[in-house]
Amino acid sequence: MTVSLFDQFESPLFLGIPLMAIALVLPWALLPKPCSRWISGRYLTLQNWFISRFTHQIFQPISHPGYKWALLFTSLMLFLITVNMLGLLPYTYTPTTQLSVNMGFAVPLWLATVIIGMRNQPSLSLAHLLPEGTPTPLIPVLIIIETISLFIRPLALGVRLTANLTAGHLLLQLISLAAFVLLPIMTATAFLTWSLLVLLTLLEIAVAMIQAYVFVLLLSLYLQENV
Amino acid sequence: MLSRLVLLSASSLKGSGPIGAGVVQATRCLRTSSQSLAPVPPLPEEGGKVRHGIFPEEFFQLLYPKTGVTGPYMLGTGLLCYLLSKEIYIVNHETIYALTIGGIIVYCVKKFGPGFAEFADKIYEEQLAKAEAAKESSISILAKSIEAEKKEQWRVEGRGLLFDAKRNNVAMLLETNMRERLHMVTNEVKRRLDYQIALQNLHRRMQQEHMINWVEKSVVSSITPQQEKESIAKCIADLKALAKTSQAQAAA
Repeated sequence: MTVSLFDQFESPLFLGIPLMAIALVLPWALLPKPCSRWISGRYLTLQNWFISRFTHQIFQPISHPGYKWALLFTSLMLFLITVNMLGLLPYTYTPTTQLSVNMGFAVPLWLATVIIGMRNQPSLSLAHLLPEGTPTPLIPVLIIIETISLFIRPLALGVRLTANLTAGHLLLQLISLAAFVLLPIMTATAFLTWSLLVLLTLLEIAVAMIQAYVFVLLLSLYLQENV
Repeated sequence: MLSRLVLLSASSLKGSGPIGAGVVQATRCLRTSSQSLAPVPPLPEEGGKVRHGIFPEEFFQLLYPKTGVTGPYMLGTGLLCYLLSKEIYIVNHETIYALTIGGIIVYCVKKFGPGFAEFADKIYEEQLAKAEAAKESSISILAKSIEAEKKEQWRVEGRGLLFDAKRNNVAMLLETNMRERLHMVTNEVKRRLDYQIALQNLHRRMQQEHMINWVEKSVVSSITPQQEKESIAKCIADLKALAKTSQAQAAA
């Protein structure tokens, strides 16, 4: 039995060697590489279909200069969704439960969009700080509020992903612990708890995919504003 | 998947240091795939056969000679019992979670697996059809151009005949022209000669007429009146004699 429920989120060490590198590299090792044949197998076909649909979907509202980001966003999406789904397996470690990993994704990408916006079209970027149609007395306050919301974005991105996954994993552990403990004592209640666990697992699968998509979607929105 | 890591590290090992080349040579006997890239080796159409979704069929075939059909299952059960009894694997809350998510995964694969496989196969068929269509269209274009080339070659063969016919035509035209001109020349020459003949005839006729006129005139002028009377009297006497003889003949 684990000492505390938060031990699952510790960065894994093995004989003093951090295994974080393996955890981060695992999606690259597991996903198939595009093959040099004309037609590939089922797995690769589905992956290619998913990648092309996703890229079309995300980059439809973005103008042409933003298309350089396609590789980055698609690979980020693949990475996040694989890592999140792998973390749902028992006894696995999810790197995206660590705030450091998520902030490491969020801050540089958000900052890149802001810098691109400020450099290429500074007046348009600054104009985003004031929504259209605000009454004149509110303008100073609103600019301050919008600036704060601009700087909160990376924090929100990172913390959203971290919090969602951490909370989900914690809940799963908690409810499975409850079901396990109740099993010899109150079997019927344990069965109810187990059914709750099934529903929660389904939710967690959905959350894993959705959170990855939301992360990349928000980044694409920030890019859309600034490119 | 993980073999890619092996391949990358192997390629860096080949180039590095003195050991690299030796390793490459020494492990030559262990390599199973063909070492040349052309012709491109065919990919298998189906994935490896598995039993119960995870365990490869080869494992069961490996154990069959020694342990029969139930061998692998006994191995699995024994392994599980060993892990549980020695508390190498401890049953805790994660076990319940593992059973839950395992059940969900199996259910999803069984329910949605064929759908996904069909979808992937449909995409595959479309790509194959596109490639086939491209191949067919280029084959048909090439076949058409071959036919056109053959037709051109046949036309070239017939060119000799065409030229002969044209040459004949031209020769005939020239011949006709020459004959026409010959005709013309002949006609002209005949006309000139006819003119000369007519001229000569005219000359002769005029000469004849002139001579006849002269002869008549001289004869007429040489007749005296005495001679004229004598000739007339002789004629009358002759006529009387003739009349008598004819009367006598008529009466006889």
